[in-house]
Amino acid sequence: MTDLLLDHLTEEALTGRSDAAGEPSWLRDHRLAAFKRTLDQSWPDSRKDEFWRSTPFDRRFDIDRSVVTSGEVTTAVPASITASLDEDAALVRLVDGSVVDIHLPTSFAERGVVITDLATAANEHADLVRSHLGSLTSADPEGTGAGSDKTVTVNDAAWTAGVFVHVPAEVELEAPISVQVHVTEPGAHLPRVLAVLGHHARAAVYLEHTSEPDVDAFVDEVVEVIAQDASMLDVVSLQRWDDGIQHLALQKVQAHRDTTVRHLSVTTGGATVRLLPECDLVGPGAEVRPLGIYFADDGQWFDLQPYVRHIAPHAKSDVLFKGALQGHSRTVFRGNIYVHKDAVGTDTDENNRSLILTEGARADATPFLEIECADITAGHGSATGQIDALHLFYLESRGIPRDEALRLIVAGFFREVLGEIDLPGVEDAAVAEIEARVEAADLDQVQVNDATLQDLG
Amino acid sequence: MADLEIRDLKVEADGTELLHGVDLELDKGKTLALMGPNGSGKSTLAYAIAGHPAYDITGGSVHWKGTELNELTPDERAKLGVFLAMQYPVEVPGVSLTNFLRTAVNSVNEEDIPVREFMTRLREEMSELGVDQSFLQRSINEGFSGGEKKRFEILQAALLRPELAVLDETDSGLDVDALKTVAEGVNRLSGPDLGVLIITHYTRILRYIQPDEVHVMFEGRIVASGGPELADELEEHGYENLRTTA
Ligand SMILES: Nc1ncnc2c1ncn2[C@@H]1O[C@H](COP(=O)(O)OP(=O)(O)O)[C@@H](O)[C@H]1O
Ligand SMILES: [Mg+2]
Repeated sequence: MTDLLLDHLTEEALTGRSDAAGEPSWLRDHRLAAFKRTLDQSWPDSRKDEFWRSTPFDRRFDIDRSVVTSGEVTTAVPASITASLDEDAALVRLVDGSVVDIHLPTSFAERGVVITDLATAANEHADLVRSHLGSLTSADPEGTGAGSDKTVTVNDAAWTAGVFVHVPAEVELEAPISVQVHVTEPGAHLPRVLAVLGHHARAAVYLEHTSEPDVDAFVDEVVEVIAQDASMLDVVSLQRWDDGIQHLALQKVQAHRDTTVRHLSVTTGGATVRLLPECDLVGPGAEVRPLGIYFADDGQWFDLQPYVRHIAPHAKSDVLFKGALQGHSRTVFRGNIYVHKDAVGTDTDENNRSLILTEGARADATPFLEIECADITAGHGSATGQIDALHLFYLESRGIPRDEALRLIVAGFFREVLGEIDLPGVEDAAVAEIEARVEAADLDQVQVNDATLQDLG
Repeated sequence: MADLEIRDLKVEADGTELLHGVDLELDKGKTLALMGPNGSGKSTLAYAIAGHPAYDITGGSVHWKGTELNELTPDERAKLGVFLAMQYPVEVPGVSLTNFLRTAVNSVNEEDIPVREFMTRLREEMSELGVDQSFLQRSINEGFSGGEKKRFEILQAALLRPELAVLDETDSGLDVDALKTVAEGVNRLSGPDLGVLIITHYTRILRYIQPDEVHVMFEGRIVASGGPELADELEEHGYENLRTTA
């Protein structure tokens, strides 16, 4: 079979792969239509594209790679954070270009929950997959899609390992569904996830990203979730990559009437991570809480761009992202809020806080509000600071050594975000990630803000 | 040598000398009151003892149990039994009170007290000091009222069992009932192994905690010293007379 090159996809190669995977013809056509669109698109130009201005695409992402289309469990895949839970969680493991195994708890299956690979689902659940796959990306010109970013269209055309999740109406899952994406091979990886929650359903979907050490790979991921009326959805995306990974992710939720959506991203790994947790509020009464914590170390570049579109009236969004930085690292927070002219009664707020631990790190924050409706409540704020010398002294004066005091203060900085989430295993995993970072930090280099020392009086 | 021996101490902050040569002695088992008007340098002395980073010792010395404190970090001083109840306790967002206290106790005692045992002790001390159990869930001093912060300082002292407790205006901002509870808390800690340096602007706390000596500070110097009767004098005449004699 012909190799797939990320920058030189061909109709022949895509058709061959689709047929070999036994995909129905509508899915092949769907891929080819996306492929045709890629021909008219160019890769992002950070000098021209507003959404890419913050991160130089050509310097941080390497597109000259072949697509990794297969994968197997050759080495131990790191344990999922669901492994230590009392609850029996669902687990899908993607290694490189393949879904290598799926664990569907009996209690899930009994209630009609479907978790399967996307090619199989395209045959067995054609109605659901056909109407939703690509409905939130550029593949559907009628959708609220993110426009015509080639990085997304390429995934529409050539996605490799895919997962389909369906939680039927009124089924409430106590245990999470974890999708583990593990990378062992260099090259381009195009994972895809489609999840559909029926009305009044409840589910938590974890996306766990890991890689083998020293693998140089580009992961271009697209996740679409349809949350139907009055459903409750939590998405948790953990970026625990090793150093060599370039990760682009569009994780998009369509929230219908009266849904409650939370999205938490925990970003600590990867060379470059550009994460787009997006939510289209298309039904009145929908609520979304995009949350993020991140810790960037020497050489890392994180670009976090939550995007909330208030399409329906009386919906609510509240964005909170907090990050810590050390070494020569860079973080970008760009919080995008769009309010449609008919979205009266919108209530939206977004906040970003950065903690700079050592010299040389840089954190940028840009709130971006596009508001077409006057009858709304909107707020935003951002701040960048350092560890407060008084906090440090208070803890030290109680006998806590400086390094331990710093650890407590940094963990405390993130508590505000983690306190919003009470999902099994998530807080422990996030705290462990953060603590590992602080532990590895060169604490002698930590800069303390002593401005507060002067105004004691 | 006294357990706490302060000799000709000079302290600077932000390039300004605030203490101009202070002498003070305190032995374990004794209680000493340091009084004086606002801005006289009482907190500066307390901070210099505890190792606050904004206050530099530029002359003289502070010895505690024979060790020069100026060479030690604040946590090392705490491990030697030094405790400062601060006039303005700091809010530290996100750091849970339980986690903070357990880390402090473990680190001062250089041992790992089992969580269960620690929680039992903590709950006991909290009820003694009238601190509601719901505080266990909260962050350090965050959203505490003035009085709650002061009680929390004494709670920390009760858990850390210091040998030198410097109480910097622990009485201010407390109503009479709270003042009594806090004073009882301090008295429970008192004994032959604890020296107390009680810093106050007013005399009312001295009705509940009997000092052995009273010293008065004014403009960065000790200007008067005496027994408990000195406090009564100040109660009657205020600090005005001192200004003229100083
Ligand atoms: N960090 C500081 N920098 C500069 N001046 C200070 C600082 N802290 C206190 N001072 C000044 O030192 C003097 C003594 O203050 P302080 O010790 O707080 O007095 P007290 O506790 O007796 O009210 C005051 O004039 C105060 O303004
Ligand atoms: Mg004072």
